Amino acid sequence: MRMYDRFELPPDKAALHRRAIRLEWWTIVFFATAVGLLAVTLGQSQAMKAAWIEDMLGLVPPAAFLIAARYRNRTPNDRFPYGYHRSVSVAFLAGSVALLGLGGYVVYDSIVRLLARERPPIGLVEILGHRFWLGWLMIVVLLATMVPAILLGRAKQRIARELHDKVLFADAEMNRADWLTAGAAVLGIAGIAVGLWWADAVAALIIGADIVRDGVRTTRGAVADLMDNKPRVVDGSREHPLPGRLLSAVLDHDWITDARLRLREEGHVFVGELIVVPSPGTDRLVERLEALERFARDFDWRVHDLVVAPVSRIDT
Amino acid sequence: MLLVATACGLPRDTGTTLADVRGGVLRVGVTDNPPWVAVAGDEQPAGAEAVLVTRLAERLGARVEWYPGSESELMAAVKDRVLDLVVGGLTADAPWTKEASLTKPYVTMRTLVAAPAGVRVPGDLTGQRVAVTGGTAEVAALTSEGADVVAVPEVTGDEGLPVVVGEWRLTELGLTASRHELGAADHVWALPPGENGWQAEVERFLLGLSHAEVVRLLVAAERAEAGR
Repeated sequence: MRMYDRFELPPDKAALHRRAIRLEWWTIVFFATAVGLLAVTLGQSQAMKAAWIEDMLGLVPPAAFLIAARYRNRTPNDRFPYGYHRSVSVAFLAGSVALLGLGGYVVYDSIVRLLARERPPIGLVEILGHRFWLGWLMIVVLLATMVPAILLGRAKQRIARELHDKVLFADAEMNRADWLTAGAAVLGIAGIAVGLWWADAVAALIIGADIVRDGVRTTRGAVADLMDNKPRVVDGSREHPLPGRLLSAVLDHDWITDARLRLREEGHVFVGELIVVPSPGTDRLVERLEALERFARDFDWRVHDLVVAPVSRIDT
Repeated sequence: MLLVATACGLPRDTGTTLADVRGGVLRVGVTDNPPWVAVAGDEQPAGAEAVLVTRLAERLGARVEWYPGSESELMAAVKDRVLDLVVGGLTADAPWTKEASLTKPYVTMRTLVAAPAGVRVPGDLTGQRVAVTGGTAEVAALTSEGADVVAVPEVTGDEGLPVVVGEWRLTELGLTASRHELGAADHVWALPPGENGWQAEVERFLLGLSHAEVVRLLVAAERAEAGR
């Protein structure tokens, strides 16, 4: 057994991961552009400020992903004997907190606007000699920023499931939150156009509540991961099936009478201990245990650092 | 989309300002700030912006009611739609964005150092005597350029010195502009917030004004003021 074992994704997953990195760079380009565009069209109106702050927060998850991507594969060393996989979990926490913060801000901002009975003023704008209402321009800009957010979010969600990458998943959620709020802002401005001052704040409030719900869910998931909870699927909706399948495969070995498996998530991979009770009089025990470790690691690419320990009995 | 929207009368007010003003009464708050607005006693306000307000009212078939007051009073009133409009040489950097909606700037007027015939303005103002209306922000601007400030009650062009004036006074006073610009003010009007139909109407009127037209009105206002 090699103590400091470097982890590589299987070739097909590595290709996916490279694709995810490209997508995340595009996301950063997109959000930076959106922040610039919205800053120009903001004017005196409060209506678009939430969408703008959001786009700035939207930079956090892709940045966290890209930073984690640089660290996650580093070879374990004396200082970090378990390697750097957890950098992905840390990035997941950062991305989730950003999502939660965004939702909280949108809710707070719309409640304040509603209570103050704030009537958003939107005036005219002049472009190339044409004069028209700035609200129409805002709607066009918001719709334009929605399209890439939808496309990027969908592509990332698919890759996140295959890679078991929760940061990428949180980021996809962020993109969803982003185009939803942009959509809400479009409805809000349309509401202002027909003279409903509250339309904007109410639409933002509903969407904000939805983002807070997502943010709470992903933050709980991220904290639970750092607390070494049982591995869960990438969207956190149910337990991951792999540990159960692996344990039954281990129990299928005729020289094993009982076994317990304890796994935790470290970023993409699962790490933990396998405790087995060999049947009495098993020969070549050390070789069998080493073969069992190889078996477990070949069982699925996610099974990485697994310690196999033989015991005479397991008390429950 | 724009054509359809405009045809449907969009954007609309959150209240009813535009509908009330059209064919009704236009309630205008005015602050004395010649030559933009001059408020004197019980007379009808004069000045360039007072003339413009009258024109806007004509366009909408409205009768103007004038309400003189300080900016603080007027902005509190416009916030709750007690007034439909506040004018008085307001600039885009006015701090009233919580109370009022400031229009898109309709004209930019520069304040310059200019010279009467026979006087030369040096490239560097350090130590140069320059006449300026006392008690204005331009005094500080001049001091920071190192000029020797000569404060006068009113700049007439007869000081025999370089003078600080708004750009609209150059022709009238026979001055030549130097390249020293002390500031530029973007002029705006203040409206009740959220009355976006009304705001679009006012801005459409204001943006239709040319720079030359505003200069003409300012010069006329200066003359009327001097004639009093």
